[in-house]
Formats: sequence, structure tokens, C-alpha cells
Amino acid sequence: MSEKDKTVDVPPPLQHLPTAKQKKYDRQLRLWGATGQMALEESHVLLINNGPGVTGVETLKNLVLPGLGDFTILDTAIVSEADLGVNFFLEDASLGKFRAEETVRLLMELNPEVRGHALMEPIETVCMEQDALAKYNLIITAAPIDPAILARIHTQAQALNIPAFYLHSLAYFSSFSVQLPPAFPIVETHPDPTSTTDLRLLKPWPELSRFAKEKTAGFEEGTMSAHDKAHIPWLCLLLHYLEKWKQDHDGKVPEAFKEKTAFRETVRAGDYNEENFDEACAAVLKSLNPPTPPSDVRAVLTAPETQTLQHDSSDFWIIAKAINVFYAKYGQLPLPGAVPDMKAVSADYITLQNVYKTKARQDSAEVLATVRELEKPLGRTGPAVSEKEVENFCKGAAHIHLVRGRPQHTARAAGEEIRFGDRAQALANELANEESLVGLHLAFLAWDEYIATHHSSADKAGGQALHITGTSESDLEADTEKLTGIAHHLLDTLITEAGTFLEDPDYTAVKTRIANFCTELCRAGGGELHNIASLTGGLLAQEVIKVLVRQYVPVDNTCLFDGIASRTQVLRL
Amino acid sequence: MQRRDRGIAQSLGLPLTKRVKESRVLLVGAGGIGCEVLKNLVCSGFGSLPQYYGGEIASEISDMRRPEIVVVDMDTIDLSNLNRQFLFRKQHIKKYKALVAKETASQFNPSVNIDAQSGNIFDDKYDVAFFEGFDLVFNALDNLAARRHVNKMCLAADVPLIESGTTGFNGQVQAIKKGVTECYDCNPKPAQKSFPICTIRSTPSQPIHCIVWAKSYLFPELFGTSEEDSADVTVTEVDNVEEVAKLRIEAEALKTIRGLMGKSEFAQAVFDKVFRDDIERLRGMEEMWLSRRKPEVLCFEQFAPSMDKSEDVVERGRALAMKDQAIWSLAENLAVFSSAVDALSNRTLASPGTPLEFDKDDKDTLDFVASAANLRSHVFGIPLNSEWEIKQMAGNIIPAIATSNALTASLSVLEAFKIMRGASFEQKGVSKLTISHVAPTHNYMVTNGKEGFMLGGSKMVFLNSRSTERMITTQNLVPPQPDCAVCSPVYAKLRIPSNSSATLQDLVTLLQEKLGYEDFSIQADVGIIYDPDLEDNLEKGMIPAGYIKAGNGFLTVVDEGDEGRVDLVLSTSFTPNTTEADPESGLQLMPEEISLPSKHKSVAESNGQAMTTTEATGDASKVAAHFNAKRKRDAEEEVVGAKKRAKADEEVMVVEDDGAILLDD
Repeated sequence: MSEKDKTVDVPPPLQHLPTAKQKKYDRQLRLWGATGQMALEESHVLLINNGPGVTGVETLKNLVLPGLGDFTILDTAIVSEADLGVNFFLEDASLGKFRAEETVRLLMELNPEVRGHALMEPIETVCMEQDALAKYNLIITAAPIDPAILARIHTQAQALNIPAFYLHSLAYFSSFSVQLPPAFPIVETHPDPTSTTDLRLLKPWPELSRFAKEKTAGFEEGTMSAHDKAHIPWLCLLLHYLEKWKQDHDGKVPEAFKEKTAFRETVRAGDYNEENFDEACAAVLKSLNPPTPPSDVRAVLTAPETQTLQHDSSDFWIIAKAINVFYAKYGQLPLPGAVPDMKAVSADYITLQNVYKTKARQDSAEVLATVRELEKPLGRTGPAVSEKEVENFCKGAAHIHLVRGRPQHTARAAGEEIRFGDRAQALANELANEESLVGLHLAFLAWDEYIATHHSSADKAGGQALHITGTSESDLEADTEKLTGIAHHLLDTLITEAGTFLEDPDYTAVKTRIANFCTELCRAGGGELHNIASLTGGLLAQEVIKVLVRQYVPVDNTCLFDGIASRTQVLRL
Repeated sequence: MQRRDRGIAQSLGLPLTKRVKESRVLLVGAGGIGCEVLKNLVCSGFGSLPQYYGGEIASEISDMRRPEIVVVDMDTIDLSNLNRQFLFRKQHIKKYKALVAKETASQFNPSVNIDAQSGNIFDDKYDVAFFEGFDLVFNALDNLAARRHVNKMCLAADVPLIESGTTGFNGQVQAIKKGVTECYDCNPKPAQKSFPICTIRSTPSQPIHCIVWAKSYLFPELFGTSEEDSADVTVTEVDNVEEVAKLRIEAEALKTIRGLMGKSEFAQAVFDKVFRDDIERLRGMEEMWLSRRKPEVLCFEQFAPSMDKSEDVVERGRALAMKDQAIWSLAENLAVFSSAVDALSNRTLASPGTPLEFDKDDKDTLDFVASAANLRSHVFGIPLNSEWEIKQMAGNIIPAIATSNALTASLSVLEAFKIMRGASFEQKGVSKLTISHVAPTHNYMVTNGKEGFMLGGSKMVFLNSRSTERMITTQNLVPPQPDCAVCSPVYAKLRIPSNSSATLQDLVTLLQEKLGYEDFSIQADVGIIYDPDLEDNLEKGMIPAGYIKAGNGFLTVVDEGDEGRVDLVLSTSFTPNTTEADPESGLQLMPEEISLPSKHKSVAESNGQAMTTTEATGDASKVAAHFNAKRKRDAEEEVVGAKKRAKADEEVMVVEDDGAILLDD
């Protein structure tokens, strides 16, 4: 991959970003571009902070630095001595003041362009109001929180199509899960630069065939100079040998692995030394695949949203439908238009690039025409789908991604049992795997369940009323036992719901692992370790950015971190 | 215990908390990762033991060992740092990073002990003795040279090092300890990409070729020091010899034009030379263009009609250069080129002795390179780029974001906990294990039997935060590569009074007598100074000849005999002017006893921290036995094992830890 290709991935900056700002954000603009930056700057994130609240604040730090538009911290806590020891964004003078106000003030120092707001109302009052959450683009809630209130937040977020994160951070362990809207499509997924681009070698268009013919004319008959032969671009070599292969094989291209290796032999026989032949041979297996779109892309093309467009369908679905029309007609996606680096003389390489670019432009124009056709009967009120958007979509068509957001799987209000439903099967499959962190997930669920069933009725308002496991030395043992009991019960529910049976020693082993996690969580007494909070804040902020800028594929949907083993695991719940 | 520490003590356990507070750590670099590491160290209580607490401690601990976080960074703060280096604000631009980092971090906890030094880690004052004062060193650097240097210093001082780095969404953390793990240099680092000279000078086909031409050829020829061989460009075997010779003449002609600098016709002369005359010469080489498009000749005058006479082209270029996201037209590139040449000429004439260097953040130099590269791209039919894009390619800009730094720094400090825990067991005896309250001891006790346990269970950690499945993964640490030139030698010290008249002969004699060397060679920073056939230097004084410099020098002694003992690296330092050591020369080897194993045994004979490889049990006494036993493994087996692991290392292999937790009490 050449240097040039790397930069092509980066979305072009827009003209109206002021220079100083652009310079400040230069290193991140190289990743998500000006469009991503603008999305970030137009976003307002709400943090519902509870417990020690360090992870939430560390998350915001990583969002304030790159230039989030607005953030609000909802927190009723008063700054204590313990807060000062673990939260970097508090100072001695903060003692006794509202933690929300103090953390907002100190976070704002990081970036004068970001606006911060502090809310000291209890969350249960806030989320009783109609559409109280509507002005936010994303919500982060930190445990501990009464599961009944959490459920209310998540239901509201779901109704408003607002992504909602929920996080735990205790001692060496943390987890976060995200509830995305039911359809969350991403066009700019930034695929791995080493992923193969569609070059259409199996179905070349006339201009490409003509160019290949020109460049390979006479090399096998010996009428071409050794220099020229050594500089035939490998694309042309493959096209040349494919033509010959088709003549000998009833017009068919090599498909099966054996055929491909046999085909590779014929290419190899053309020259045993030259680099361009090496390149051609190396490309046989990965470049001669039928242009079947990956399952992620097929999921988009066949989605109900694509099939039936509505007057309020977003641009994404209209373009997706147009691409689907294109795919139905040609059996392939629009050409991305990029050409990999290769041994060739400069002029040939430039011509080849132009051949691909021209074709890519034609494909994109065809899709755009279909988009215009589709738009007409819909009676849309907003602006027409932009040409640029269609181009972008066509360029990345093979890598578009659709996340089907799912409701958060959390503990329920007191008295309601946790059910696993359609998640049971996938989770149960993890149980026998001794390296899986599924046990940690169950321990966190149990920890929340403990809160649901133990908060003191005398003081229902706010986080302070919640009873956290292990907060007092004397209760430690009893609490650990209770927590482990809840977690083990959850395990049995899970196994029953999945309709499976876990044999010993696996069953005993998973119970022991869960008990160990529970003991650890209890011993933390609700306390956060700054270093783990900082790490989790990094992970969480990274996902928040992906969601806000709608680039890169976000975690789907629960991420667990074990700080003892220093590793993460993602579960789809 | 203060209430502030309760949270930490609860999670880390009392013994580790105490050790963390008593520790003295060095942080090299206060940039992206460094700011984050400093915050995490401060919030975790590193080096926070009150310095004059009760008088007792203060008197026992010398300055070089007292609990503290020492931060060293030579850089000043730039606007483009502010999106992630969160200890810095706009008003801090141009101030020293280390000092501001301390100032901001101290606001959080005024009682924290931070010693900020705005120095270059290569400085002589940061010698082996300086490094020896630390329990742990963190690398938070951005360049290979400094990383390698600190790696070597930590090997020489036998201090554990936590190395870290990020690129965009990726990060990596690696713990390094002499004789226990691989060092930073055990694996070769990828070489810088270089282009054949003819591709750059005669037949470019990509924008990058034109950018390298402008940056590494045209710019230094006009404003810098002419570099015959820049690292970006090399004469390779595919280059045509005759053409290379002609290119040399071409460069000479450019030097003549340099004499016109300051005159109004300078920009035009340069332009016509490189875009007209040189291109015409290339066009004349018919055989070159049989299968390529001929380049197009540009002439300064041809743009004259398009330029408004009343408008100054330099002024126009200056205005255009502000629009760095736009792709400039040909005439616009010419205008920017003119204004950049004008600005750079003025700067060169103002201080004739100092050649200019290309710097991506120096707008004049960037304008010059961007416009010249684009003009050349046009000549060769290559697509033009915006200055913003050219900046990335020319400046090798590595994307950097707050999140990756936060993650990598936290992972570094997590590894620090493990190393400190490991070290405390080593000191206090393994029996302490059973009464430890520290949960992570399971890592220590439940090794999976296949891999060794090193540095308190520390791992190589990989971050890939753009991944959706495996964001943080680990791999077991690998024992040192037996043939690594940097970490396989034995490190020792050579001390010399600063007024010593010792000659090289004195050192040779010392090595012969003390260590039984026969056929051997000695290498200093200046090159090989002694070998069996090189005796010219023997009479030279060690200090006057520069073989021993103040502070940071190294001498490498290579055994050329049949037995082949491992290399000996001597870090040199001055002692006060006393002569209690070898009365003749004052040269003194430290330690007294230096054992030099034969080359093949060196790895197995690692120090007391050797790894256990037997099955783990939960049984502390067994672990203790393994831990204490100096394992003498068959050297060959060790080498094979290392190779196997090295192979697995090629693709990021993930060896996951046993997820179980073993809790004591």
C-alpha cells in the first residue's frame, strides 16, 4: 500500500474550519476528518453520574479534549475527602461543594470551546419530565443506580433514538454496554487498509480489457522487450492469463481452490523471476473471488428499511436501495475505484488509475440517477440526497455496516426477575469457556440486583440511599455471600432459559469463577481505582466518539474489562 | 491512613499500597502518554510518601533514592498538543512540557512529590547512576532513538522499564527487565521507507515521489545543507548509473543558482531551472519515454499574462497559502512557490550561517514543499494534493487521539502494579504471599503451566480500540533473545577519576588481569579503539582521546577468543579525584566480581528472577521453591523456546490469562 492510498481513506477537510482550530485538532482530523469533527462539535452528551463517579468524568475528559460541543453532568453528590483521592478533576477547595459543578468547572478548563453544564436535580425527578432527555445526543449512566430508574432512562432514550451507555467500574473490573437505535448504519467504517479492494478482474469492463490487451500484446511471443515485460502491471498479467484460461475451460474462470492454484501455476510459468509475476501470483487467491458482498452489506441491502422506502426514510436507506438496484442489475457493487500499489512504469500506473477512476465515476453516476428516480415518488421535504454522499457510499459500499441496536440488558426494579430471553443461548455457550468474562457480567448484574433489592426505603431520593455491597467491614462477609447467591441464581436461570445443561466439572468451575468475581466486587466496597477508571474512560470515550461521528464500527454491545488479566471481551447481549 | 488513600488501599492491598507510596519512578516524556501516566501515578499515590515525615525516613534516604516522580522532557508545548495532552492549556504554549505538567498535576494533590526537569534524556547528567536510583522507569516517548537509549540505560542500571507507544487507535505496552524479558532492541524495528533516486529525481509516478523530491532534494539544495544521501532517497541497483551521474551535475547547477538568493529574479531562476531546463533535459532522453508520457515543461514567463501586473505575486501567494485545504491551481501553486521562496530567502539571508530544515510545523517550509511538489506533479501528470494532505505525507504525521493515550497510559500503570508486586515478593520472601490481601496474586500463583511467570505476571499488552471484538489483548512476555546485541552483554561499570592519566594500555591491562581477557577488542563511541591488530591507540590517555566522556559513555569489550564469552559493556563515569582504587591508573571496575558466561549460557543464567515453568499449583510453598531456585536450564532448550515464541510473535498472537481468581483468606 502506498503512502498516497493511506491518505485517501481520510475524509477531506471542509473549507470553513478556522485554521487555529484545525491545527489544534490536526492529529485527530487525520482519523475522522472535518465531517466527523463537526458531528462531534454539534453533540451534547449527558452524564448521569453516581457512586465515586470517576470513570464518567474520565470519559468526559476524553470527549472535551477533542472538542465535544456540550456536556452536562447530572450529579447530586457533595465532594468528600474520598473523592479528592481518586478524582483528578477535583481540588482541595472543592470539598463540600456540589461534585457536578466542580467537575464541570475543572473539565471546562481543558478546552475553552466546549460548554459544560451541571445539574443537581435528582435523576428520578428529571426523567419524569416529558422528553427531558430529548436535547441530548447521547447519554452515559454510571452505576450504581436504582434499576427501576435506569430502566426508565433507557426506555426514554429508546423512544427518542438516543444512544445510551451504562457503565460499571469497581476495583480492577469494569464493563459498559451501549443501547443503539434499532437501525444504526455506518458508511465510513474505515476498513483495514490491508482488506482487499474489488478490482473486478473476473468481470472486466471493456476499457480495462482493452488496456490489459495492449499492455500484454506480444510478451509471450517474445516481441516485447525484457524491460517492458518486467513492467506489465500484475492486474494486466492476470487478465491476460484469465482470458487464456477461459478459452481452455468453456469460458469459465477458475473458481475452486484447486483451479486457482492450477491457474497460479500457469501465471508462474510466464516468468519465474520478475517481481510483477510474483505480485500476480500472490494476488491470485485473494483477488479472484466472485464479487459477493459480505453478509453485513447484504443485511443492509435486504433490510426492510431498504425494501420499503418511506417519505421520512433517511438518505442512507435511499442510497442503499439504489445500490441494491445496481447490484440486482450487474451482480456486483459499484466499483470503489482504488488501485493498489504495484510494479509498473509510472505512465501505465497513472493510466490504470484513470481507467478505474473513470469506471467508478460511471457507477456512482448510475447510482445517483437511481437515487433521483427513487426520491421522486417519496415526496420528501428535506434537501435532496447529495452527490457527495452517493459517491462516498459507492466508494465504501463493500464495507458499510449496520448495527441493530438492542435494549439494554440490566437488572429490573425490585421484585422483577432478571430474564435472559433470546440472549440466553449465546451467553450459555460462554459458560464452559474458562477464559470468558461472562461470569463478570453475571456478577455485575447481581451487583445491580442487590441494589434493587436492598436500597433503604427511608430515603428514596438519589444515589446516596442505595446500599452498596461491602461498604462496611462488618457486612463484608454477609454481603459477599448474598451477592454470590444472587449471581449463582442468575447462572441457574440462564442455564434453564437456554434449555441446556452444564456438566461438572464445568458447572462447579463457572460457579467458582463467578464467586471470585463477586468477592472482588464486594471487597471494593463500591470504590473505584483511578487507573481502571482512566482506562475504562478511554474505552468508553472511544466508543462514544465512534457513535457520535458515525464512523468506524462501534462495540455491539457489551464490553467487559478484567484489569488483572489486562484484557477485554465483547459480548452481544 | 488518610481517608484519601482508602480506595486505593482497598483495591491494591496494604503491602502494595505502601510500596507504591515509597517508590521512586522516572517518567521519560510528558507528551500524549506522559501526561496521562503522570495523572495516573499521582492519583495512585506513586512516590507520595511525605519526604520529611517523622524525620526518620528523610534522614535515611538520600536524594537519589527518595520517594518521588521524576519527569524529564525537553519539549515545549505546541498548539497541536492541546487535543490530547490535557495538562496543558493555551496559555502554556511555548513553555516546557515537564514544568507545566508538574504545575498542573500538583494542583490536584499538592502533597505529591514531582521533580520536573526540562532536559534531554541523552544529557550526560542522566547517567547510569541516575537511572539506578529508580524502582521503575516509564517510557512515554515519540521517537526510536530516545526509546533505544532509555532501553540501554535501564539495562545498564538493571531497572525495570515499561515501554509504551501509540499510533492512532493502536497502542502497545511492554515491560522490560535485563535478563528476564526481551529488551526493546531484541526485535529489529522496521526501516524507514526509502525510494530509488531515479524514481524521485527522474521518473516520479506518485504524489509522494514529488513530495520527497521537494523536501529531501530541492529544499536542502536551496536553503539547507545539501545532502548527497538523504535517508529518504538511496541509489539502488535499479537506478541507471549514467542517469545518477547526470543528476549529480544537475544538483551542482542548482548550487550556482543559490547565489542569486535575495535578488528579485531568484524565484524565477529556480523555477525555470527545475521545471523547465531539467525537464527539457529529461525529455531529451528519448529511450526513457518510449513507454511513458513525456513530462510537460513549465516556464515562469508563461504565467505572466495570467498575473495582474499591479498585484504582487508574493502577496497573492501568501494569501493563498492560508487556504491549505483547497487544491491550488497551477498558477496558484506558482504564487505560493514565489512567496515561500521569498520568505525562506529572507530568513536565510538574515542568518547566513544557519541552514534551514524542513519542519512540517514551519509554515514557510511547508508552503515551499507543497507548492514545489504540486508543480512537479503537474509536470509528470500526477494528481495534485492540498497542502493539508501533503503535510501528512511530508511530515510523517502520526494520528494521535486522547483515548488511545489514556488507554495506553493506564495499561502502563497497571503493568507497574504487577512489577512492583513481583518485586515486593522477591524482597520479602514468598511466604508473605499467603497473607497478602492483593487479589491479583492469583496471576502469580495460577500460572497455566505452559508459560513462564515474569515480573509479577506482567504481560505484553496490545490496544486496538477501533476493533469491535478485541480491544485489549495480551501476550506473555518473552525471554531475552540470546543474540541481541543490546541486552545479551553483561553490563558493568568502569569508574575513573576525572583527573586520571590512565591510558588505553591501562584499561587493556586491567581487563587482562582482572577478567582474564586474551584476544579481545574494545569499542568506544568513536569506533573500535583496540583489537589484537590495532595497538596504535594504546598510549593515548582515556580521557584526552575521548574514549571516556563525562556521564553517559559506554565501552564494549568483545571476546575474540575461541571460548567466546559474552560481550561486556562498561558504562563509564567519573569519580571524585581520589585514587583509592588501582593506584596506577585510578581505573576501577564495578562490581568487584564480574562473571562472564560463554555466549550460549547467558540466558539461562539469568539473575534471581528466573521464571518458573512448572505447573502451577495453588501451593505457596511449591511456588516459593520454584521462585527461589535458580533454574539452570539447558541452554539449548532455552534458545529453541525463545525462537518458537519469537515466531509466534510475528502475528499478534493472543495468549490469554487464566480468568480464574484465587483469593486468599
